[in-house]
Amino acid sequence: MKVPDPISLQTENRHLKVLNKRYIQYIREKVNQLLEVMGTQPLKPEELDDETLLEFDPIGIVAGAFQQILEHLRQTNRELELARDELQAIFNATGVGISIIDSDFRIIRCNEKQRQMLVSEPSEDIRGRFCYEVYCYKDSPGLDCPAVETLATGRAVTLREVKKKDKYFQVVTTPLKDHEGRTKGVIEVLIDVTEKKKAEELMLRTEKMVSLGQMSAGIAHELNTPLGSILGYSRLLLKDKNLTEKQIEWLGIIAEQTKRCSRIIKGLLDFARLPEETPVGRCDVNCAINSAVELLKKEALKRKIRIETELNNVPIVRGSQSEIEQVFINILLNALQAIGKDGRVHIRTYNEDQMVVAEFKDTGPGIPESIRHRIFDPFFTTKPVGEGTGLGLSISSGIVNRIGGTIEVVNSPEEGSIFRVRLVADA
Amino acid sequence: MNRKETVDINILGQVCPACLLVALKEINTHHERLRKGEVEVVVRTDHRDATRTIPSSAEAMGYRVFVKRTENYYEIRITARQ
Repeated sequence: MKVPDPISLQTENRHLKVLNKRYIQYIREKVNQLLEVMGTQPLKPEELDDETLLEFDPIGIVAGAFQQILEHLRQTNRELELARDELQAIFNATGVGISIIDSDFRIIRCNEKQRQMLVSEPSEDIRGRFCYEVYCYKDSPGLDCPAVETLATGRAVTLREVKKKDKYFQVVTTPLKDHEGRTKGVIEVLIDVTEKKKAEELMLRTEKMVSLGQMSAGIAHELNTPLGSILGYSRLLLKDKNLTEKQIEWLGIIAEQTKRCSRIIKGLLDFARLPEETPVGRCDVNCAINSAVELLKKEALKRKIRIETELNNVPIVRGSQSEIEQVFINILLNALQAIGKDGRVHIRTYNEDQMVVAEFKDTGPGIPESIRHRIFDPFFTTKPVGEGTGLGLSISSGIVNRIGGTIEVVNSPEEGSIFRVRLVADA
Repeated sequence: MNRKETVDINILGQVCPACLLVALKEINTHHERLRKGEVEVVVRTDHRDATRTIPSSAEAMGYRVFVKRTENYYEIRITARQ
């Protein structure tokens, strides 16, 4: 074996020491780089000599810490994904419409309910579009828009009632804030209050009817006796042989007008009749419609109005046959009077959930929005004085409400009005 | 009730970055039991900067950290998240 030359060994030793120093220097630089990432100061050579540095293994320590940081980040990501999925599920499953809108009124996202309620095309991508265009069909935000106020003030705003697409909504806007508390957008919640509003209106109408009914019954009762006397004495007077022709004519008018008053009073009493006085019977809706049509056939013919019927197979409903017939006569007569001359009334029956619907569609002028809520009020009429008592529809409404049904009136998209009487199917 | 085991680390008199490296080394050593909540690491230091660097790193690693100041030193308690 060859013995190494001491000089070459010394040279190699020096060379290795230089290399070693470079490696240690490199390790120190990398350690300091890592320590800086960890937010602390660099390691000074006097704090840890080279040998202790290697033994202490700071790179290994920081690598171990990084491993845990990564593990924690992965776990946090998994939790965030889960939370995001849960939030998305809630976002879509909730019964209210939710939109997130940025400060330029652009829709960032919205849930399915919002889409169903306000977006015309279900597949339409509305992200990035202006909310006032998509939801309000405007080219700029409206003055009454709650989102405008929330963006300006940073406060939540509630708009109690806004009408869109023939429905009523309550709108609540809540500010969406950034880390510094500045309003960067709006969360808009849309609640469909149409049914609630209808129920409130019905309750109001019912209350009004009840009080009017009570008052009418009182007045009718008080008037019946004197009217009876007027009629009786005018008939007695008519028997007097000494009367002139003119006087006989005047007495005839008195008797006729008194009878008219009696008819109005009978109507008032019908309207005011209490529920317990009328036992709920059973009624064949199609049969009631046929009777009403039969009764008004001549009147329709005189007015050149065609009555069409489309009577489907519907179950028997709760209610008195004669009363429901009276309701249909009132509605049909109203339709004929509304059309005046030359037109058409289409009557259709069909099932809807547990109800039977009788629909009367006419080609008349329709009912103006401003008076639509009043047409079921007693004594409300648009007919000339003397032609109507204004009791027909209010009596009809009273009859239908008493047996658990509803009457609604809408203007037909084409022409005229549509009356829908919903009656409870007799189980 | 199971009492948590406490790992005490006394680094009084030491300064950063040594403080941080010593604390991290202990956390690494015990990390599995720390995560499970079986053990907690309590660091005693009188180096103020360590009350910033150690909690910041330990929180990034997913632990809960409580810093308490006593008369002569700071006590940094590192435990599992809830």
